[in-house]
Amino acid sequence: MTDHPGDLRTPLGRVRFLGSGRTGTADAWVIHLTSVALIPLSIAFVWLALTLVGKDYNGVRAELANPIPAILMLAFVIAGIVHMELGMRSIILDYIGGEARAWALVVNTCFAALLALACVYATLRIAFT
Amino acid sequence: MASSDAHPGQRPRPLSPHLAIYKPTMTMAMSIAHRISGMALYAGVLLLAWFLIAASADASSFTVFSGFLGSFIGRIVLFLATWALFHHLVGGLRHIVWDAGYGLEKPLRDQLAWATLIAGFALTILVWIIGYAVR
Repeated sequence: MTDHPGDLRTPLGRVRFLGSGRTGTADAWVIHLTSVALIPLSIAFVWLALTLVGKDYNGVRAELANPIPAILMLAFVIAGIVHMELGMRSIILDYIGGEARAWALVVNTCFAALLALACVYATLRIAFT
Repeated sequence: MASSDAHPGQRPRPLSPHLAIYKPTMTMAMSIAHRISGMALYAGVLLLAWFLIAASADASSFTVFSGFLGSFIGRIVLFLATWALFHHLVGGLRHIVWDAGYGLEKPLRDQLAWATLIAGFALTILVWIIGYAVR
Protein backbone atom coordinates (compact mmCIF):
# COMPACT_ATOMS: atom_id res chain seq x y z
CA MET A 1 0.00 0.00 0.00
CA THR A 2 2.95 2.34 0.55
CA ASP A 3 3.38 2.71 -3.23
CA HIS A 4 -0.05 4.38 -3.47
CA PRO A 5 -0.32 7.12 -0.83
CA GLY A 6 -3.89 8.36 -0.32
CA ASP A 7 -5.36 5.37 -2.13
CA LEU A 8 -7.59 3.46 0.29
CA ARG A 9 -8.40 0.63 -2.13
CA THR A 10 -7.12 -2.89 -1.63
CA PRO A 11 -4.44 -4.08 -4.11
CA LEU A 12 -7.04 -6.39 -5.73
CA GLY A 13 -9.56 -3.55 -6.01
CA ARG A 14 -6.92 -1.36 -7.64
CA VAL A 15 -6.10 -4.05 -10.21
CA ARG A 16 -9.83 -4.33 -11.02
CA PHE A 17 -10.13 -0.52 -11.48
CA LEU A 18 -12.76 -0.30 -8.74
CA GLY A 19 -13.52 2.99 -7.03
CA SER A 20 -13.70 6.62 -8.09
CA GLY A 21 -12.55 7.69 -11.56
CA ARG A 22 -11.80 11.13 -10.01
CA THR A 23 -13.28 13.09 -12.93
CA GLY A 24 -16.88 13.19 -11.64
CA THR A 25 -16.86 16.72 -10.25
CA ALA A 26 -15.23 18.18 -13.37
CA ASP A 27 -17.71 16.32 -15.64
CA ALA A 28 -20.68 17.46 -13.55
CA TRP A 29 -19.43 21.05 -13.70
CA VAL A 30 -19.02 20.98 -17.51
CA ILE A 31 -22.45 19.40 -18.13
CA HIS A 32 -24.09 22.05 -15.92
CA LEU A 33 -22.05 24.86 -17.51
CA THR A 34 -23.01 23.79 -21.04
CA SER A 35 -26.65 23.26 -20.00
CA VAL A 36 -26.90 26.88 -18.80
CA ALA A 37 -25.11 28.13 -21.95
CA LEU A 38 -27.50 26.10 -24.10
CA ILE A 39 -30.62 27.87 -22.73
CA PRO A 40 -30.03 31.12 -24.69
CA LEU A 41 -28.13 29.30 -27.46
CA SER A 42 -31.04 26.89 -28.13
CA ILE A 43 -33.49 29.79 -28.30
CA ALA A 44 -31.12 31.61 -30.70
CA PHE A 45 -30.75 28.42 -32.77
CA VAL A 46 -34.53 27.92 -33.08
CA TRP A 47 -34.92 31.59 -34.03
CA LEU A 48 -32.14 31.18 -36.65
CA ALA A 49 -33.77 27.97 -37.97
CA LEU A 50 -37.10 29.81 -38.34
CA THR A 51 -35.41 32.53 -40.43
CA LEU A 52 -34.11 29.77 -42.76
CA VAL A 53 -37.51 28.11 -43.34
CA GLY A 54 -38.41 28.11 -47.04
CA LYS A 55 -35.03 29.55 -48.12
CA ASP A 56 -33.10 27.93 -51.01
CA TYR A 57 -29.36 27.08 -51.15
CA ASN A 58 -28.23 30.66 -51.83
CA GLY A 59 -30.64 32.16 -49.30
CA VAL A 60 -29.51 29.78 -46.52
CA ARG A 61 -25.82 30.42 -47.28
CA ALA A 62 -26.32 34.19 -47.36
CA GLU A 63 -28.03 34.10 -43.94
CA LEU A 64 -25.42 31.79 -42.34
CA ALA A 65 -22.56 33.90 -43.77
CA ASN A 66 -23.56 36.81 -41.50
CA PRO A 67 -21.27 37.06 -38.45
CA ILE A 68 -23.92 36.81 -35.70
CA PRO A 69 -25.75 33.73 -37.09
CA ALA A 70 -22.38 32.05 -37.83
CA ILE A 71 -21.00 32.74 -34.33
CA LEU A 72 -24.25 31.60 -32.67
CA MET A 73 -24.23 28.41 -34.78
CA LEU A 74 -20.62 27.67 -33.77
CA ALA A 75 -21.37 28.29 -30.08
CA PHE A 76 -24.54 26.15 -30.22
CA VAL A 77 -22.77 23.28 -31.98
CA ILE A 78 -19.74 23.25 -29.65
CA ALA A 79 -21.71 23.61 -26.39
CA GLY A 80 -24.35 21.18 -27.65
CA ILE A 81 -21.92 18.44 -28.70
CA VAL A 82 -19.82 18.72 -25.50
CA HIS A 83 -23.07 18.45 -23.49
CA MET A 84 -24.29 15.55 -25.66
CA GLU A 85 -21.01 13.64 -25.29
CA LEU A 86 -21.04 13.97 -21.49
CA GLY A 87 -24.74 13.05 -21.30
CA MET A 88 -24.27 9.91 -23.39
CA ARG A 89 -21.16 9.06 -21.35
CA SER A 90 -23.17 9.03 -18.12
CA ILE A 91 -25.84 6.86 -19.78
CA ILE A 92 -23.11 4.40 -20.88
CA LEU A 93 -21.60 4.35 -17.37
CA ASP A 94 -25.07 3.69 -15.89
CA TYR A 95 -26.18 0.89 -18.18
CA ILE A 96 -23.15 -0.79 -19.76
CA GLY A 97 -20.54 -2.79 -17.87
CA GLY A 98 -17.42 -4.81 -18.60
CA GLU A 99 -15.44 -4.59 -21.81
CA ALA A 100 -18.44 -3.25 -23.76
CA ARG A 101 -18.33 -0.12 -21.59
CA ALA A 102 -14.82 0.77 -22.77
CA TRP A 103 -15.80 0.33 -26.43
CA ALA A 104 -18.98 2.36 -25.97
CA LEU A 105 -17.00 5.20 -24.36
CA VAL A 106 -14.48 5.19 -27.22
CA VAL A 107 -17.22 5.20 -29.90
CA ASN A 108 -19.17 7.96 -28.10
CA THR A 109 -16.20 10.32 -27.73
CA CYS A 110 -14.82 9.71 -31.23
CA PHE A 111 -18.26 10.12 -32.82
CA ALA A 112 -18.95 13.35 -30.92
CA ALA A 113 -15.50 14.74 -31.80
CA LEU A 114 -15.99 13.92 -35.49
CA LEU A 115 -19.48 15.46 -35.46
CA ALA A 116 -18.16 18.65 -33.82
CA LEU A 117 -15.31 18.94 -36.34
CA ALA A 118 -17.71 18.40 -39.26
CA CYS A 119 -20.20 21.02 -38.00
CA VAL A 120 -17.50 23.61 -37.22
CA TYR A 121 -15.74 23.03 -40.56
CA ALA A 122 -19.01 23.27 -42.52
CA THR A 123 -20.13 26.44 -40.68
CA LEU A 124 -16.77 28.13 -41.31
CA ARG A 125 -16.79 27.04 -44.97
CA ILE A 126 -20.24 28.59 -45.46
CA ALA A 127 -19.04 31.80 -43.79
CA PHE A 128 -15.75 32.12 -45.70
CA THR A 129 -16.49 30.84 -49.23
CA MET B 1 -27.68 -5.19 -18.21
CA ALA B 2 -24.86 -5.99 -15.84
CA SER B 3 -21.90 -7.63 -17.46
CA SER B 4 -19.95 -10.15 -15.42
CA ASP B 5 -17.59 -11.33 -18.14
CA ALA B 6 -14.87 -8.88 -17.09
CA HIS B 7 -14.37 -10.69 -13.78
CA PRO B 8 -15.30 -14.38 -14.16
CA GLY B 9 -16.67 -16.00 -11.04
CA GLN B 10 -17.43 -12.65 -9.42
CA ARG B 11 -20.93 -11.33 -8.69
CA PRO B 12 -21.81 -8.53 -11.21
CA ARG B 13 -21.04 -5.02 -9.99
CA PRO B 14 -24.16 -3.05 -8.97
CA LEU B 15 -25.37 -0.66 -11.69
CA SER B 16 -27.72 2.28 -11.25
CA PRO B 17 -30.56 3.09 -11.54
CA HIS B 18 -32.79 0.11 -10.77
CA LEU B 19 -36.01 1.36 -12.35
CA ALA B 20 -38.02 -1.83 -12.00
CA ILE B 21 -38.26 -1.87 -8.20
CA TYR B 22 -39.95 1.54 -7.81
CA LYS B 23 -43.62 2.48 -8.17
CA PRO B 24 -43.79 4.77 -11.24
CA THR B 25 -44.21 8.48 -10.45
CA MET B 26 -44.51 11.59 -12.62
CA THR B 27 -41.06 12.88 -11.65
CA MET B 28 -39.58 9.46 -12.47
CA ALA B 29 -41.37 9.38 -15.85
CA MET B 30 -40.02 12.86 -16.68
CA SER B 31 -36.53 11.84 -15.55
CA ILE B 32 -36.65 8.91 -17.99
CA ALA B 33 -38.14 11.17 -20.68
CA HIS B 34 -35.24 13.59 -20.09
CA ARG B 35 -32.73 10.84 -20.88
CA ILE B 36 -34.70 9.59 -23.88
CA SER B 37 -35.07 13.11 -25.31
CA GLY B 38 -31.34 13.64 -24.74
CA MET B 39 -30.54 10.48 -26.68
CA ALA B 40 -32.99 11.55 -29.40
CA LEU B 41 -31.08 14.83 -29.72
CA TYR B 42 -27.98 12.77 -30.58
CA ALA B 43 -29.84 11.95 -33.81
CA GLY B 44 -31.07 15.55 -34.02
CA VAL B 45 -27.47 16.80 -34.10
CA LEU B 46 -26.82 14.36 -36.98
CA LEU B 47 -29.61 16.09 -38.89
CA LEU B 48 -28.02 19.48 -38.11
CA ALA B 49 -24.60 18.20 -39.27
CA TRP B 50 -26.17 16.97 -42.54
CA PHE B 51 -27.77 20.41 -43.01
CA LEU B 52 -24.48 22.28 -42.40
CA ILE B 53 -22.42 19.94 -44.60
CA ALA B 54 -25.00 20.11 -47.43
CA ALA B 55 -25.15 23.93 -47.21
CA SER B 56 -21.33 24.11 -47.22
CA ALA B 57 -21.12 21.85 -50.29
CA ASP B 58 -22.85 22.43 -53.65
CA ALA B 59 -26.47 23.24 -54.51
CA SER B 60 -27.29 19.64 -55.51
CA SER B 61 -26.23 18.33 -52.06
CA PHE B 62 -28.50 20.91 -50.48
CA THR B 63 -31.39 19.88 -52.75
CA VAL B 64 -31.04 16.28 -51.49
CA PHE B 65 -31.16 17.52 -47.88
CA SER B 66 -34.10 19.91 -48.34
CA GLY B 67 -35.89 17.18 -50.33
CA PHE B 68 -35.62 14.85 -47.33
CA LEU B 69 -36.64 17.55 -44.84
CA GLY B 70 -39.63 18.55 -46.97
CA SER B 71 -40.84 14.95 -47.30
CA PHE B 72 -43.43 13.43 -44.95
CA ILE B 73 -40.79 11.34 -43.12
CA GLY B 74 -38.45 14.34 -42.95
CA ARG B 75 -41.13 16.53 -41.38
CA ILE B 76 -41.96 13.83 -38.80
CA VAL B 77 -38.24 13.51 -37.92
CA LEU B 78 -37.88 17.31 -37.65
CA PHE B 79 -41.06 17.57 -35.55
CA LEU B 80 -39.80 14.89 -33.14
CA ALA B 81 -36.37 16.58 -33.02
CA THR B 82 -38.06 19.91 -32.21
CA TRP B 83 -40.08 18.23 -29.46
CA ALA B 84 -36.98 16.50 -28.06
CA LEU B 85 -35.12 19.84 -28.01
CA PHE B 86 -37.89 21.74 -26.18
CA HIS B 87 -38.69 18.87 -23.81
CA HIS B 88 -35.01 18.54 -22.90
CA LEU B 89 -34.65 22.35 -22.61
CA VAL B 90 -37.56 22.85 -20.18
CA GLY B 91 -36.66 19.60 -18.38
CA GLY B 92 -33.14 20.96 -17.94
CA LEU B 93 -34.57 24.21 -16.53
CA ARG B 94 -36.54 22.12 -14.01
CA HIS B 95 -33.38 20.25 -13.02
CA ILE B 96 -31.53 23.58 -12.51
CA VAL B 97 -34.37 24.74 -10.22
CA TRP B 98 -34.17 21.44 -8.31
CA ASP B 99 -30.34 21.60 -8.16
CA ALA B 100 -30.67 25.05 -6.57
CA GLY B 101 -32.81 23.42 -3.86
CA TYR B 102 -36.21 24.83 -4.87
CA GLY B 103 -39.46 23.09 -5.84
CA LEU B 104 -38.65 19.73 -4.25
CA GLU B 105 -41.65 19.62 -1.89
CA LYS B 106 -44.53 17.22 -2.44
CA PRO B 107 -47.17 18.91 -4.62
CA LEU B 108 -44.80 21.32 -6.39
CA ARG B 109 -42.34 18.74 -7.72
CA ASP B 110 -45.13 16.87 -9.55
CA GLN B 111 -46.61 20.15 -10.79
CA LEU B 112 -43.18 21.15 -12.14
CA ALA B 113 -42.86 17.77 -13.89
CA TRP B 114 -46.30 18.20 -15.50
CA ALA B 115 -45.50 21.83 -16.40
CA THR B 116 -42.34 20.86 -18.28
CA LEU B 117 -44.18 18.11 -20.19
CA ILE B 118 -46.91 20.56 -21.24
CA ALA B 119 -44.48 23.45 -21.90
CA GLY B 120 -42.25 21.26 -24.08
CA PHE B 121 -45.23 20.22 -26.20
CA ALA B 122 -46.69 23.75 -26.34
CA LEU B 123 -43.38 25.33 -27.45
CA THR B 124 -43.00 22.66 -30.16
CA ILE B 125 -46.49 23.38 -31.54
CA LEU B 126 -45.89 27.15 -31.31
CA VAL B 127 -42.61 26.97 -33.25
CA TRP B 128 -44.19 24.79 -35.96
CA ILE B 129 -47.11 27.23 -36.31
CA ILE B 130 -44.58 30.08 -36.71
CA GLY B 131 -42.59 27.91 -39.15
CA TYR B 132 -45.60 27.32 -41.37
CA ALA B 133 -46.71 30.98 -41.07
CA VAL B 134 -43.37 32.45 -42.19
CA ARG B 135 -42.77 29.90 -44.96
